[in-house]
Order: sequence, then structure tokens, then C-alpha cells
Amino acid sequence: MSKALRLRSLVLTSALALSAGCSDFDSAFVYSERTTNLMPEAQDGFEDAPGVKRLVDDKFGNPQQLKAWLKLPVDFGGSSATVGEIVADAGGAKVKLVAVEGVTLPESAKSLQFVSGAAAGQSVGITAWDAKTGEATLASLPEAAPVAGDACSVDGGEVLKQGRVLYMRHCSHCHGSSGDGNGPTAQYLNPRPRDYRNGVFKFTSTNDLSKVSRDDITRVLKYGIPGTYMPSFLLMEDSEIHAIVEYVRFLSIRGEYELKLVAELTGDYSVKALESRQEKRSEIVDELKKFLKEDMPGAATGAGDELAEQWTAANTEEARIIPSVPRVPDTEESRRKGRELYLSKTLNCADCHGIDGAGNGPQTMAFEDKAHPITGVKYSEPGLHDAWGNLNQPRNLQTGIFRGGRRPIDLFCRIHAGIKGSAMPSFKNTAHEDIWHIVNYVLSIQFESEPGSAGVAAAATPAPAAGAE
Amino acid sequence: MKKFWALFFWFWPIVALWVCFAAPGRNWWFPSPPKSTLGHQIDGLFYLILIIVALTFVGTEAALGYVMWRGATKDASSKAWFSHGSHKLEIIWTIVPAFVLVFISLTQLDVLADIRVLSKFPDEAKKGALAEVTARQFEWRIRYPKPGTMLMTDPQPGDLYFVNELHVPAAVPTMVNLRTQDVQHAFFAPKLRVKQDAVPGLVIPLWFEIEEAGEYELLCAELCGWGHYKMKARIVADSPKGVSDYLTRLEAEQNEDGVAEAPAGEESAEE
Ligand code: HEC
Ligand code: HEC
Ligand SMILES: [Cu+2]
Repeated sequence: MSKALRLRSLVLTSALALSAGCSDFDSAFVYSERTTNLMPEAQDGFEDAPGVKRLVDDKFGNPQQLKAWLKLPVDFGGSSATVGEIVADAGGAKVKLVAVEGVTLPESAKSLQFVSGAAAGQSVGITAWDAKTGEATLASLPEAAPVAGDACSVDGGEVLKQGRVLYMRHCSHCHGSSGDGNGPTAQYLNPRPRDYRNGVFKFTSTNDLSKVSRDDITRVLKYGIPGTYMPSFLLMEDSEIHAIVEYVRFLSIRGEYELKLVAELTGDYSVKALESRQEKRSEIVDELKKFLKEDMPGAATGAGDELAEQWTAANTEEARIIPSVPRVPDTEESRRKGRELYLSKTLNCADCHGIDGAGNGPQTMAFEDKAHPITGVKYSEPGLHDAWGNLNQPRNLQTGIFRGGRRPIDLFCRIHAGIKGSAMPSFKNTAHEDIWHIVNYVLSIQFESEPGSAGVAAAATPAPAAGAE
Repeated sequence: MKKFWALFFWFWPIVALWVCFAAPGRNWWFPSPPKSTLGHQIDGLFYLILIIVALTFVGTEAALGYVMWRGATKDASSKAWFSHGSHKLEIIWTIVPAFVLVFISLTQLDVLADIRVLSKFPDEAKKGALAEVTARQFEWRIRYPKPGTMLMTDPQPGDLYFVNELHVPAAVPTMVNLRTQDVQHAFFAPKLRVKQDAVPGLVIPLWFEIEEAGEYELLCAELCGWGHYKMKARIVADSPKGVSDYLTRLEAEQNEDGVAEAPAGEESAEE
């Protein structure tokens, strides 16, 4: 996106998609429980001082009318252009568009979105399009007429809209229309479908403090998560996968933005905070109003900037985990070293995964000194819990099923960065060579005849081909 | 009005015959001609049964219409003929269908043996399974043996894994082992005419020879849960060399250690 387009947002009405017969859903984004735990005035705001809900909606819209906040590192789709000249005529209006440097105008175009100028935020249909000259005949000219030089986007938001349609069809019954991991089938699944709204993803190739990269989400989509109900979508077209990945990023950032806004308010203006406050309610409301008016806009901008930066950074080489040494050859010697490290006091994998890797270490039987992230109530059941408040069983390493992938680099990343959001911690300070020893050991556990036998291959029975019948 | 019913029952066999002849031209028929060797035999059985059933249907409907027409045109005072209790008739309509059924079951024995009986599998397929296909709600997990080794019932170090895509050589009889991790599923490749249930606890050998290279759909044909409709994969038939190249690539990918190929001798820790 060119500089001129930054910091603006554009509305993507779904009118076009809907008229094309995709009205099979009618849904809304639901707000986080953290938002609905705020006092009503903080949620809804005041006429001249928007609350959390309006601030979020202003930037993200709802599923029927998505908004593209162009500051965010999401490929909303569309080719950036500026209005060259406007040729009004009887049957509508013709505009000549000039592509922004480095952008080529698409062969076919359905709609035009104005990004700056009087018509900013409006979308009009294109009835005839000439890609060579950039001449577009518009279904109508916006009331507040655009002028030459206004920034616009041809087919702006098409990727996001396609992503939404595909997401609603393939993902929302598990992950929910808002990405809250609470679709109708979710309650039957263990582990539960990912709730994207805190922007945390488990299986990433990025450093422990970085977000998930596009490639990571793409891998999960293509290959699924073995051992869970997350299916593989390998047969989808690459362009479809791209559109869904962008939509998942959109939902994640939306959720995180909402949480960041709530974090500004929750200390003083949650229903719970009110209980312990001595002031009169009207005084609190006045104070809130002042806060929303004076401090919130800055905080919201800051939150948006921070998110844009983090989600951009996750796709860079700096964020990626690259082992400093190639994999250590997978010898018995290396596996033995790996097992020693696995059992060592410093790394203590066995504390969670058990001495023989069965996922039944002492920590699975202890009560955690942690509270549920939303209710704030201490867990009443023993065992580890993840960032979403679900019971989080350490993996049984004897099954040989690795949810984040079984390539050595996958396991290296799991150990280096930990499994984000889960109880599995990061071991980034461990020497890379040692991590490789552990990887070699972990990959051999499945074939151990007894714990620590360094993976002598299991007694092999030939497949029934030769013998049976 | 009585004549109407006679005409009514004569009308349907005509429709049935018309459908039989018109269907192929209107794309109401099979998704394609059979693309595997067994497919031709299975289609042969299908057509045989279709012809028997169609003739039976046309014959009985014609007789039914005839009886009704007679009844409608007969003068009302004539006496009816009661066939109830006629041993002769009962013997005829028991023996004729029995012969038809015995005929069908004998005719299909060879085809069934070709599909199911291990000792009748082509030698090429008997050599060993190319891969293990494990159905699970709601995807197909594929396990190939490490190139150069035999597929074992239990996973082995070096086995190669993939999901929803099975590569097999074209024009070579190929065996795969079918199993399921949870409920019953069925391995169904419509264009190959291959259909086999996957049953919990069993490893079912399954063979086919795809005639031309290309991509073929693999579906689940056993209602296995709410996500049944998603259980779709693809079978890629390629030259034997293509398949072994694919497995080599898969092996390289599966051993990926994330360290970019560095120029010889250099440590490859890029920033
Ligand atoms: C049958 C339910 C189901 C469907 C359908 C489904 N998912 Fe999932 N998904 C899951 C479950 C369960 C997990 C969590 C697995 C875990 O925690 O290990 C998950 C996890 C994920 C993750 C997180 C991976 C990570 O690294 O944390 C992403 C991203 C994801 N799904 C995207 C999608 C998308 C996109 C679709 C639609 C194309 C989709 N899912 C469809 C069940 C589903
Ligand atoms: C505090 C407990 C804890 C410790 C310590 C711990 N893990 Fe884990 N580990 C977990 C949990 C919980 C999971 C499951 C995470 C999930 O998928 O939600 C897990 C998952 C894994 C996985 C599965 C990855 C996959 O793709 O399926 C591996 C491998 C693993 N751990 C290895 C290790 C190794 C090696 C160590 C020591 C260096 C270690 N863990 C230390 C809790 C722990
Ligand atoms: Cu199935």
C-alpha cells in the first residue's frame, strides 16, 4: 500500500458478495467477555467519546460490512490507484484511474473503493472496465464526489471478502464467526478449537516473543494438526488458502485490539472494580467520559501501531528461528545425550512429560498456582492449564504424533520457543546443539522398547501383505 | 378410469427404458469411464445387473398393464379367474428368480476374487504395500515406508507421512493397506471404481491398477460423522519414476532441519 493510503480505513460492504448469492450467513462479531465485564458506559461510550465496542467496530466493522484498516499488515486485496480525471456522463460516471507506482491494474474489476477525499470509505460497483487505459465506468458516482488525486483501490477488500466467505463455510463451525473458538461444534472437541482473539498461536516457527507468521498459519491449514480435530485443507487452491490466512490474521488482530482497549479500562471501570470504588457512580461516569475523550484515542492509536508492528515483524527473517548448527546426526550417542538433558534438573522435561515420555509427569498431578484468565478463579482441578483456561495435558511423546509437525525443525522450534499459549515453556537459552540431541531423543521415544533404550527399533512385524489369508 | 391405470403402468417402463438410453448422453451417468483395470470388470457386473433388472422391470410392468387392460375391457358379468394357491405358478416364480440370483452370484465370483483374495492379487501388488492409508475423522493420513524398505504394520523410524494426498504409480498394480483410527470409513475412488470399508481393528489390503497418470478423487463413502462431507483427498497417479522422485522429495522435506544450505564449510546462521 502506498504511503498516501496509510492510517486510513475503507469500508468493504458485502453488497456485492451478497447479491452473488452468498447470503448464507448472517452473523455478527461478538465482543470478548472482558469487554462485557466492563461497566456499560465503558462498553458503549458516549456520543462524543466512543467506548470499546464502537472503537473496535470503527476499525473492523462486522461480517456483513467489513472494514479494512489499511495500517494493519493484512492483505485486504485490491490494487492501489489514484483518480486521474472524472468524466461524468448520462448513464453513470466514468473515471480514469492511474495505478500507484509499482502496482499493475487487474484484468477485470468489480468495484472501486475510495480511500481519501470526500468520498473516502465508499464503495461503488464498476460496470465496465478497461485495464489498459484504467477507465472505469461506475454504477454511480458517490454523492460527495471524488476529485482528481483522490486515492482509491480497485477491487479493494476482495481478498478479505473471499476469506470471510471461505472462513464462514469451512472454519466458523469450530472457530466461531469472530474467531473466539466457540462455534457450535467446539464444545465436543478436545483440545478446543483455537480462540484467535489473544493473537496467540501454538505452532510457530518464530521466536518465543514473536507472533505467528503467515507461513505458519498456511502450514497448519494445509497439513492440519494431527492428533486434534483441526483438519487438513490441502485440497484448497493456494489463492483460497491465502484469503483465509489473511482473514484469520484480521480476526486475530481485531481480537487483540479489543483486548488492548479493554486493558486500558478494566482496572477502574470493570463491573468488579466498581464494587470496590467509593465514589458516587455519576462521578465515576464523568471520570470515564473524560478518559474516553482525552486518553482513549491516543491509546487506541498506540495499540493499532503496536499491533501493526508486531504482526509485520513476525514475517521477517529476524523473527524466524534458525538453528545455528545443522541437525546433529541421529546416533545412539546423540539420543542418549538427549535423554540425559531431558531428565536433567535444568531442563526437566520429565517434570511434565514423565520419565518415559508418557505425558504424566508430577506436574500433571499438582495444583497450579494460576487463575483462569477470564473468571480470575483459581483452578480447582489438578494439572497444567493454557492461556485460554483449558486443561493442558503435556504431550504423550510415545505416540509419535506431533501436532506441530514431525520435521526436526518443527521440534527444534517447539523446544526453542516453547508452545506459545500452552504450559510448554521456551528453552531458548539451551545450546542449539543440545536442542538437536533432545530432538533426536524425542523422535526416538516412540521406538523405545523400554525408557532410555535409545530407540532400538520396535520389533518389526511385516505388514499383512505377505502373510495374511 | 380403469383404462387409465393400465396405461399408467405401461407408461413407466417406457420412461425407464428412455432413461437407460438417454442417461449417458446427458451426463447422468458415471463420472467417467473406469480408469482402473478392475473398474472395467466392476462396470461389466453393473451393466449385467442393470440389464437383468431393466428387463424384469419392463416385463412385470407390461404384464401388470396387460392384466389391468383386460380387466378394464372385459364385460362386467364375466367371472374372474383365481390364481391364488396355484402351485405351478408359485414354483415358476420361485425357481426363475432363484436361477437368476445363482447366475449372478456365480458370475461375480471371479471379479470378487480378483478384488479381495490376496493369493489372486497380481504379483506386482503382492510384493508389498506401497503405503498405509489411515482414515480418521475427517481426513486421510498416509504413511509410506522409508524409500528402499518394506511397509511394516507398526510405524518405523524413517517412515514418511503425508495427509490427503496419495501418490501411486500408474499402470502398475499397487497395493495399499487400509485402516481407520476411529470409526468406520470407506475408501472410495469413484473414477477408479474402488470402494472398500475401513474397519476399526483391521488392516485391509486393497489393490488397484490405475490406467493413466492423472489426479483422482478419493472420498469417504461411509457416513462417519458430521464432517463426513469434508473427507476428501486426492490420488496422484504418476510414472514409477515420478513416484520415487516424489518420495525422495518427501523424505528430504521430512528431514528438514531449517538450516539453509550454506556455501560449503560456512556456518549458516543468517541474521
Ligand atoms: C473440526 C473443527 C475445526 C475446523 C473445521 C477447523 N479447525 Fe482450526 N483448529 C481446531 C482445533 C481443535 C484446533 C486446536 C488444536 C490444538 O490446540 O492443538 C485448531 C487450531 C487452529 C489454528 C491454530 C494453530 C496454532 O498454531 O495455534 C489455526 C490457525 C486454525 N485452527 C485455523 C483454521 C482455519 C482457517 C479453519 C478453516 C479453514 C479451521 N481452522 C477449521 C479445529 C478446527
Ligand atoms: C511445564 C511443563 C512442560 C515442560 C517443562 C516441558 N513441556 Fe513439553 N509440553 C508441555 C505441554 C503442556 C505440551 C502440550 C502443548 C499443547 O499442545 O497444548 C507439551 C508438548 C510438547 C511436545 C509436542 C510438540 C508437538 O508438536 O506435538 C514436545 C515434543 C515436547 N513438549 C517436548 C518437551 C521437551 C523436550 C521438554 C524439555 C526440554 C519439554 N517438553 C518440557 C509441557 C511441558
Ligand atoms: Cu469418513
